[in-house]
Amino acid sequence: MDLMWSNIFRLKSDEESLTGFLERIAVFNELEKRDFKYLENMVHTRTYHANETIFEKGDPGSGMYIIRSGKVLIFNRDIHDQEQEMALLSSGDLFGETTLASPAPRTFSARTTEATELIGLFRSDMLTTTSKHPAIACRILLGLTKFISEQAQRATIEVSALQQRLLEMEHNPQPTTGG
Amino acid sequence: MNLNKAHFLLFYLTMTAAIASGLAIFSSASNITILLQDAASGLFVPLLLALVTSFLLDPIVSSLEKRRIPRSRAILTVFFCVTALFFASASWFIPYVQHMWGSLSSDFPRYTEQFVNYVREAQSSWQARLPFLKNYDLSASTQSSVKQILSYVLVQTPKSAFKLGSLLVLVPIFSFFFLRDGNNFMRGLVALAPNRYFEMAHDLSFLISRQMATFVRGRIIEAVIVGAVITVGLHFTDIRYAPLLGLFAGITNLIPYVGPIIGMLPGIIIAAVDLGIGGQFWWIVILYILIAQVFLDNFILIPVLISRVADLHPLFVILAIVMGGKIYGVLGMIIGVPIASAVKIALIEIRHYRRAFSLPETGTDRHA
Repeated sequence: MDLMWSNIFRLKSDEESLTGFLERIAVFNELEKRDFKYLENMVHTRTYHANETIFEKGDPGSGMYIIRSGKVLIFNRDIHDQEQEMALLSSGDLFGETTLASPAPRTFSARTTEATELIGLFRSDMLTTTSKHPAIACRILLGLTKFISEQAQRATIEVSALQQRLLEMEHNPQPTTGG
Repeated sequence: MNLNKAHFLLFYLTMTAAIASGLAIFSSASNITILLQDAASGLFVPLLLALVTSFLLDPIVSSLEKRRIPRSRAILTVFFCVTALFFASASWFIPYVQHMWGSLSSDFPRYTEQFVNYVREAQSSWQARLPFLKNYDLSASTQSSVKQILSYVLVQTPKSAFKLGSLLVLVPIFSFFFLRDGNNFMRGLVALAPNRYFEMAHDLSFLISRQMATFVRGRIIEAVIVGAVITVGLHFTDIRYAPLLGLFAGITNLIPYVGPIIGMLPGIIIAAVDLGIGGQFWWIVILYILIAQVFLDNFILIPVLISRVADLHPLFVILAIVMGGKIYGVLGMIIGVPIASAVKIALIEIRHYRRAFSLPETGTDRHA
């Protein structure tokens, strides 16, 4: 009896509702509480089977995806068309964010490895939002800028470290690091 | 194989049954389509007008929404303002229109008669020069067709006034829902696309609807400005029915190439009959051709409001007008070209998209 009733009257917990999920995503940190109701209608929820292609390298990119559940494999193909795994993303991760602001072909391929639910946020919805609700668009873009600039900074540090190593290798070419 | 009579009979019966059931299915299917057609027949015009209205009002609603007014309330506010404007102008407008209609129904036969007289004079001068045209009686055929048009206009206009009543109810309701839920309809439609093509479908629907809104808005604003300028220009002369002629010129201006010519005909005929061929007549001709068409429309309005992208080849314009006229009569002639332009816009956007990204094949058939 108790079990039956609790099932009916149970409110959706924060974990389950889309808003609750979106609130935990770092990109949307800048958003205010009431903005999430709008965001919920702005994003598109898509479900994928296991081993389904999300996009291929070179596809027209028009937005980013957030993984709500499941796992997504990010990979590139080498010259022999062999898949080279770059990352295996899971719930809460996002990918494809660089095409949200400006149209560009995808620079990598993405494929699900299990049944996956993705949340897509696309450029066209972003453009509509900038004209209708500039404040919300501003907050999303601010969060996105933070996210991307952090990435860029990390990449810069990594590049300079690699350059350093390259220089060292040129000056004293010892086959110590498997070169 | 031994085929006896029973086999033939069986074959005959089966074939008959098959044909009969096929016919039954076909006729019921066509009955259903006819039924559906019947049910939807009156809805095309209100739906189209509602679509155009929602395209026109959307910028206003969006700008209200930007001020943090909920969308439904913003739409209702805009509707309220438009209705108030309607009623305010109606109290001044309706007696004016009634008066004009009364004098027009007596004047109309006079104009057409004069027009037929002109044709007859022209014909006799042709026939004097080109004797082989003697058997061709242009004036009689003009007279009969003019009479047909006349009776059509005199009978149909009050009738369409009743239709206007139902439009006044349906169009606001439809356009309210288009404005409020149009985006959701599109979202629902695009969401049906398979995952692999979803992004593309979503992007294209956005690009196409944006282009379409600009195009429709530009066309309507262009027609309104041309109509207003002609009305004002005609007011400088002694010609009667200036607002009506301006309205007519504005509406026909929606049709490229052919529309402006049709739009200026009644004005020039009335001017020739009422005012005679003199200074005012030439002013009206200059107004129609030079000021409204060449200067205003071609040099100012079209470059500012409408991108050349949606331009159709004259051949397609004529085809669109003829086909539209076949399907929906006069209304079809007016909306045929914009619809053809809309199709062209969609095709151009798709081609644009394909060129920008050189669409790759699907992932499954890529591996070596």
